[in-house]
Amino acid sequence: MADNALLEARGIAKVYPDGTVALRGVDLVVRPGEVHGLLGENGAGKTTLTKIISGLLPPTSGEIRWRGKRVRFSSPREALRAGIGMVHQHFALVGPFTGLENIALGEEGGGALSPVHVASVRRRVEAIMRESGLEAPLDVPVEDLPVGVQQRVEILKMLYREVDLLILDEPTAVLTPQEAEELFSVLRGLAAQGRSVIFITHKLAEVTAVTDRVTVLRRGEVVATRETPGSTAEELARLMVGEELPPPRARAERAPGREVLRLEGFTVPGPAGKPAVQGVSFSVREGEILGIAGVQGNGQTELVEALVGLRPWSGHAELLGKDLAGRGPGEIASLGLAHIPEDRHGMGLILEFNLAENAILGRLRPFLDPLGRLRWGKVYRFARELISRFSIQAPGPRVPVRYLSGGNQQRLVVGRELSKAPKLLIANQPTRGLDVAATRYIRDLLLRLRDEGMAILLVSADLDEVLELSDRVAVMYRGTFAGVLSREEFDRERIGLLMGGVREAG
Amino acid sequence: MKRVAETLTVLVLGILVGALVMALWGRDPWSSYASLLSGALGNTRALMSTLSRSLGLVLTGLTFAVGVRAGLFNIGAQGQMLLGAVVALSCGLLRLPPGLHLVAALALSGLAGMAWALPVAALKLTRGVNEVISTIMLNWVAHWLVLYLVIQKLSDPILGQRTFTVPPGMRFPVIRGELTWALVLALATALFFWWFLWHHAKGYEIRAAGLNPRAATAAGISVKKAMTTALLLGGVAAAWAGAIQVLGRFPYAITSDLANLGNLGFDGIAVALIGRNHPLGILAGAFFFGTLATGAAKMGLRGIPIDMIYIVQGVIVVFMAAPEALRLVRLRRPAAKAKEVAR
Ligand SMILES: Nc1ncnc2c1ncn2[C@@H]1O[C@H](COP(=O)(O)OP(=O)(O)O)[C@@H](O)[C@H]1O
Ligand SMILES: [Mg+2]
Repeated sequence: MADNALLEARGIAKVYPDGTVALRGVDLVVRPGEVHGLLGENGAGKTTLTKIISGLLPPTSGEIRWRGKRVRFSSPREALRAGIGMVHQHFALVGPFTGLENIALGEEGGGALSPVHVASVRRRVEAIMRESGLEAPLDVPVEDLPVGVQQRVEILKMLYREVDLLILDEPTAVLTPQEAEELFSVLRGLAAQGRSVIFITHKLAEVTAVTDRVTVLRRGEVVATRETPGSTAEELARLMVGEELPPPRARAERAPGREVLRLEGFTVPGPAGKPAVQGVSFSVREGEILGIAGVQGNGQTELVEALVGLRPWSGHAELLGKDLAGRGPGEIASLGLAHIPEDRHGMGLILEFNLAENAILGRLRPFLDPLGRLRWGKVYRFARELISRFSIQAPGPRVPVRYLSGGNQQRLVVGRELSKAPKLLIANQPTRGLDVAATRYIRDLLLRLRDEGMAILLVSADLDEVLELSDRVAVMYRGTFAGVLSREEFDRERIGLLMGGVREAG
Repeated sequence: MKRVAETLTVLVLGILVGALVMALWGRDPWSSYASLLSGALGNTRALMSTLSRSLGLVLTGLTFAVGVRAGLFNIGAQGQMLLGAVVALSCGLLRLPPGLHLVAALALSGLAGMAWALPVAALKLTRGVNEVISTIMLNWVAHWLVLYLVIQKLSDPILGQRTFTVPPGMRFPVIRGELTWALVLALATALFFWWFLWHHAKGYEIRAAGLNPRAATAAGISVKKAMTTALLLGGVAAAWAGAIQVLGRFPYAITSDLANLGNLGFDGIAVALIGRNHPLGILAGAFFFGTLATGAAKMGLRGIPIDMIYIVQGVIVVFMAAPEALRLVRLRRPAAKAKEVAR
């Protein structure tokens, strides 16, 4: 047994009921007072491991020791009582309740929301906020708070319960760079008080920025545990991915061509009468990538859905000089627009259909004879072509796409959309949830298409992605463009401030 | 393959539970089952009767199945079937050459089925009325309308318990025993539905719309049109189920209690579920259902309590239909599904 361990997990394995093997015997030791990074690609098993530690999932095998004693938590509540708290990617907050009420709600016993009790909770939470430097408004319904602030309420909830081990599952995914910096200093402060943190991420820079030690997971196995000082980003990347990736594609110098998409005063109604997109104007030209950065939930989804014809909107929009008003998705697509939706499963694919059937979704006409009959021979030939051209790992064109990995599903979507020979490609979160190799593939492909003259509108909550690919970046905040920067003006800090709603002066 | 194994499992389970019921009733289950089977399949005459009984079930099964493929829970086959039967019968009042007379009756009956499906589509697509509600209402309207016509307008002047019979030139010719060439109509319709769903653009769109309406819409498919097509096609099939009861089965009329039309429309739901909403499965499911029905009728003739037979029949059908019914329920909770997948 390792000495000086707060938490020790040995040989943790997890097989999900559907047969997915998520963990194959994982060891993890967390010391008191350390920020312990858990690094791994999407699907490596990070969330599963921490759900087991925090009592949300039972392990299939393996044991957990907490302060030296063998434990088996049967619920998150039990783990919390012992001092382990987890902040999930999807928060567990009650929307209409204030931050303070949410914090008080978690407590056991009746009368959690009685005025006397709430007042005493307020005093303690205020003390915790002063001590930790983690500030959040306590009297606003949490659903009115930006996600980054909601996250702080979640963390405060855990600190209020006096956890000794705080687990954060990809916390920076919903933060601006500045907010992430603030979070890091909060975490370092906690560690200095002797508390421990498990910090989950798939971003190398964050590991080096905040962790003391790091455990790298790959396909359900631990490949290494390292002291962070002394490990290089290259080394960690190699451990995480397990292979060397070719360097990213260099972007060609190229002047943008004619205007393909133009929006003026584009407004999309949102829920409760408030517009989700408010009077946005921009254009996208041939041979350029316009990136839209921003914390998710600031109107990006509505903007894209309206553009492709799935939502009503007002204002002016034209594609290659043709007014888009009043046109449905099919018609807009036929004008030369292709769309990689953010929600692959809900909108991009029909999971029960096989690969070939999905390959022609939205583009049936070339595969029909004059009587409207499907020419399956041609369909399957086309599907095989996509498989080889876009390196889709699949047993064949007849496999239901449900059984493909996320990366291969996305290659299929991308391949299909490009087969429409679009003039404008809208890529919404094109690499979300993909592993490193698939991410690289998609990004390189987008750059190549741009070099070849396609107009691309890229929407991504991943600032690194936007900065790497875009020729110009628009930052979206609460339904408007907080600023549009050209490549020379790219500056993480400045964009981060815009993402957080800090307006440019002048 | 997995589905076949599953079907056989639930079949065995259903038979066992049915046996239990009979045992509790104080009957010997195995000899009862034996008489059921011999009653339904034991000789050519029985077999022809079973086949003939199955044909209508094939058609109403298709109605429900094509609805499910489009994402609908269309239980309107019963009303469309009744209406189809009465329209086919009424064509007997026309004076047309033999052959052509039959074709005309089928055409008009099919149109009537479509007409009865149209309000379902219109209400759903313009007012958002759930098809379950509208089809139930239309089923009742059809029931009373047909009953009125059968008793008041079309009844046989001499034999009050049924309508007039259709002229021989309008009937499906007999193949053998009770089985007529309506067999070909049922098989061809099943074949057409299969071809349409898997080999025609419109059928592809129906399946896409049914499985994932959001993705279908994003791909430029009109979910409304797909649903309308499915409802109209289903209306034709259901109406023909009624028509062949009149044009292809004794007594070539409608009895005044509508008993020779029975619950064909509703039974088609079970048939479709047994057949996993696939035309080929539906052929098998209808034959299975027909076997139970014919066998049960014969058992009744042998003095086995009819209630018990119905219960056993019901138990077996429920078991057979359960897996697909559960799948449908699960599929209808897209939010839950999306969550599961998103993780
Ligand atoms: N509820 C679930 N049922 C089945 N498989 C799951 C479930 N949740 C996660 N998985 C699978 O387990 C593996 C690990 O997932 P996860 O722990 O979420 O990885 P990470 O958090 O590192 O991205 C993946 O292959 C994922 O698809
Ligand atoms: Mg995760």
